Amino acid sequence: MTFGKELKFRFKCLGLLMFCLGVAGCGETKDASSGTKRETIALFTKNQTNPYFETVRVAAKAAAAEQGVDLKNYIPTSNDSIPEQMNQIEDAITSRPSAAVFIPVDAKAMIPGVEKFNAAGIPVVNLIDRADGGQFVSFLGCDDYAVAMNTAKYLLQKMNGKGNVIIIEGQGGSSNNQKRIAGFKKALEEFPNVKVLASQTGNFQRNMALQVTENLLQAHTQIDGILAANDAMALGAIEALDAANRKALVIGMNGTKEAIDAVKTGKLLATGDCDGFLQGCMGTMAAVRHLRNLPVPREVIFPITVFDSTNFKGADVPYEQRMCPKWESIVKD
Amino acid sequence: MARLARIPGVAFLLVLLGIVFGVFAAGFASLPNLLNIGIQSSTLLLLALPMTFIIMTEGLDLSMGAVLGLTGVVLASALVAGNTLIVALAAALGVGLVFGIANGLLVVKLGLPPFVATLGTLGIAQGIALVVTSGESVAGIGPALPRLYASRWVGIPFSILVAIFMYAVFHFLLYHTRFGNYVFAIGGNREALVLAGVPAGFFHVSVYALAGLMTGFAALLLTGRMNSGHPIAAMGMEFDAIAAVIVGGTERQRGNGWLPGTVLGVLAVGVLRNGLNVMALPSSLQVASIGLLLIVALLIDSIRRRRL
Amino acid sequence: MKYRLIGVVLIALALGLSSDAFATPSNLLNVLRQASLVFLSASGLTLVIVGAGLDLSVGANLGLSACFAAAAIKATGTLFAGFSAGLACGIIVGLMNGLMVTKLRLPPFIATYGMLWMLYGVNYWYMKGDTIYGFPSEFRSLGSGDLLGIPIPVYLMAIGLLAGGIFTRYTTFGHEVYAIGSNAEAARLSGIPVSSRLILLYTLSGAMAGLAGVIYLARLNSAEAGIGSPLLLPAIAAVLIGGTSLFGGNGGLAGTMIGAIILTLVLNGMNLLGINSNWQPLVTGVIILLAALIDSLTRGHAELRA
Repeated sequence: MTFGKELKFRFKCLGLLMFCLGVAGCGETKDASSGTKRETIALFTKNQTNPYFETVRVAAKAAAAEQGVDLKNYIPTSNDSIPEQMNQIEDAITSRPSAAVFIPVDAKAMIPGVEKFNAAGIPVVNLIDRADGGQFVSFLGCDDYAVAMNTAKYLLQKMNGKGNVIIIEGQGGSSNNQKRIAGFKKALEEFPNVKVLASQTGNFQRNMALQVTENLLQAHTQIDGILAANDAMALGAIEALDAANRKALVIGMNGTKEAIDAVKTGKLLATGDCDGFLQGCMGTMAAVRHLRNLPVPREVIFPITVFDSTNFKGADVPYEQRMCPKWESIVKD
Repeated sequence: MARLARIPGVAFLLVLLGIVFGVFAAGFASLPNLLNIGIQSSTLLLLALPMTFIIMTEGLDLSMGAVLGLTGVVLASALVAGNTLIVALAAALGVGLVFGIANGLLVVKLGLPPFVATLGTLGIAQGIALVVTSGESVAGIGPALPRLYASRWVGIPFSILVAIFMYAVFHFLLYHTRFGNYVFAIGGNREALVLAGVPAGFFHVSVYALAGLMTGFAALLLTGRMNSGHPIAAMGMEFDAIAAVIVGGTERQRGNGWLPGTVLGVLAVGVLRNGLNVMALPSSLQVASIGLLLIVALLIDSIRRRRL
Repeated sequence: MKYRLIGVVLIALALGLSSDAFATPSNLLNVLRQASLVFLSASGLTLVIVGAGLDLSVGANLGLSACFAAAAIKATGTLFAGFSAGLACGIIVGLMNGLMVTKLRLPPFIATYGMLWMLYGVNYWYMKGDTIYGFPSEFRSLGSGDLLGIPIPVYLMAIGLLAGGIFTRYTTFGHEVYAIGSNAEAARLSGIPVSSRLILLYTLSGAMAGLAGVIYLARLNSAEAGIGSPLLLPAIAAVLIGGTSLFGGNGGLAGTMIGAIILTLVLNGMNLLGINSNWQPLVTGVIILLAALIDSLTRGHAELRA
């Protein structure tokens, strides 16, 4: 195609674009004159497949309805995608939400994203996973490191401090994974008579964790405990144990419904969590409180619960039936 | 009329999406948002441009996303170590070039099918990136790159300028140099080149080397955007690049390439994603729409071909 | 082919020497079970590639079929419903792929890649972030159980291989697929109804992906959206390592079995030897290249191309 013809083609496109702009211009003025909008909260979760985040979204929706605000969900189409979440932040800012509730896909890489909210003057609440930078109204969540450490300690105590364990790691490149593995290792330091036979990745996926556990069961005749960095992998490990007719204590993290059921039936020893539902509620409420000029503490650290056969009842309620608690009952100042 | 036939179906979809979003998505047609679309699409375009050449030579490069992760890590690490941006960029370009040349040699000299060769180098690049970083992101890259990334020239953001510049370079290469002629020929009629005494192998390898080099430039944008290097941030981008190229009208089987089409392909997906985000429509719908866009775009072309 | 088998033996020998746990019957059967699952996910894809096509939607198809099968079993309490739902989903997806490639003349890469996205969209919407879990043990034994000491998936792989062999050698359809793969034009000119054969081929591929989904469901005892996502690249790798050419017309399920075994051996070896997981993609990439190099050298490509 010669250059001249190309130019003509480009002008045609430009013309059409101008037409769109014109039409949109009319569209926009209509919007502005339709009266004050309800406040909107933009909620950013990491993926569409982990039940944990669905719980958070359901809770946020309940809290938003209760508070009389709209909730808009932003979830990457590719699980945990950093570039996509960055794009979604920019796109969300275009529709000017009143506030954002933000779970970063990566603690460091998403800092520029938070700064975009800051530059646009949109208050942000940091939920569940701490971002390593940017200005936040508040951080509500708990520490994956602490959750992992507590849950691992629980298992090691149940092992009476001796025996063999294997670690099933999450995806290399995930900041959550690093924190959880560090938490496991810290717990192990307190139990010097426990031997770590292997630490291999299951990529946070059930199938891979199953396969890896199968392989490790072959390599080691005596495995007493399995530390899995999330519930999906813990459940995969349990399937491998079942198939091989072997027994071991298994812990996971996330407190998903399936994990709680496995705790009920005794397959899973425990799953560590800070209550995804509660966090979803509180994160949304914190954002709304900030919009209404009510006090919000800089940090709300939720208690870690290691759900085992004694205390799972609290988490065993289907989340459709759960209600958000009152803010004052959780945050006491 | 013949020129109208050259415009791929995706162009009409792009215009349609622009109009629909313009009307229904508040804020879509604002200048900041349109610039956002450009910024968001720029990294992908840098990958899709060389991918166009590769596909024209009846090849594929599946390793681009993984190599981009590695070059991003190299760039970030070099900056963290205190090097200037130029030096760090050179390092990233160098690493990208090495992988590009490796891909080229595997495909051309050793005769491996491109799908297989680049699937292999994908693993190698991803593996090196993970091992070198122990799976962690590389932060603390200093102010130079973020400043450059955030800079605007005549109101145009840096990444869009880079994208426009690179497009101009590739356009010139393809349509106004002998290299470009060779790229057309390698796909369509390789024997003619060989008979003419042209070192077809060398140019064929160069096409892959160019892709590797471009991942170094793409790393500049991606690392600037994330203010850090991340080993697996770009996984899967090559599939989006391939889709953009094919939807843009470049055909694998006939060495037939249309570079402006690649831009249209990249923009169409960028506009779709952006519009759906601005409207905050459910993510599952966004996932399905992307597939639908690709299929409908080529369906339009397929129907038009039959009418001619 | 024999070079591949030598390759498998060499890898096995290397692993056997470096790890005590490798060469036990228990581990070898373990490896075979895992390889069978990869084989099942890649079997339909192999046939499509033989026909010079491509099906990037196998992973998504597998995952969606597994989810529908799971829902069907839960809703009706019968395994038959599960199989039917999984198979039906697989067939419908395969049929749509086939129609897109033949009647709508879409290039297979885009058609099946677009289908991949649409399937995940449906999958995410349908599952709403939940999982469907807890299945009867008779069902689960399809994935995790043994029969006479041999894992059941291995029997399924054997059946698949046998069927594939019969298909290739003794059925007209099989011959036609290879012919179409070698040279679609020539096949058309010699009277083969290429379009309808391709539709059938993609439908068959979809059906096999659907069935594989049901087996994965049995093994995992749970269905979640996106099960299939990490399965696509290993499936493609298994087919390609197995020697089936993307240009079509050669290769087959036996090669895919070898490819699946090689991939599984790599992961098994790395787990047994306790090699840091960050090295896994690197080792896998190297193995893929080595397998392709051996293939290329033995076919004399080096001479032709240089």
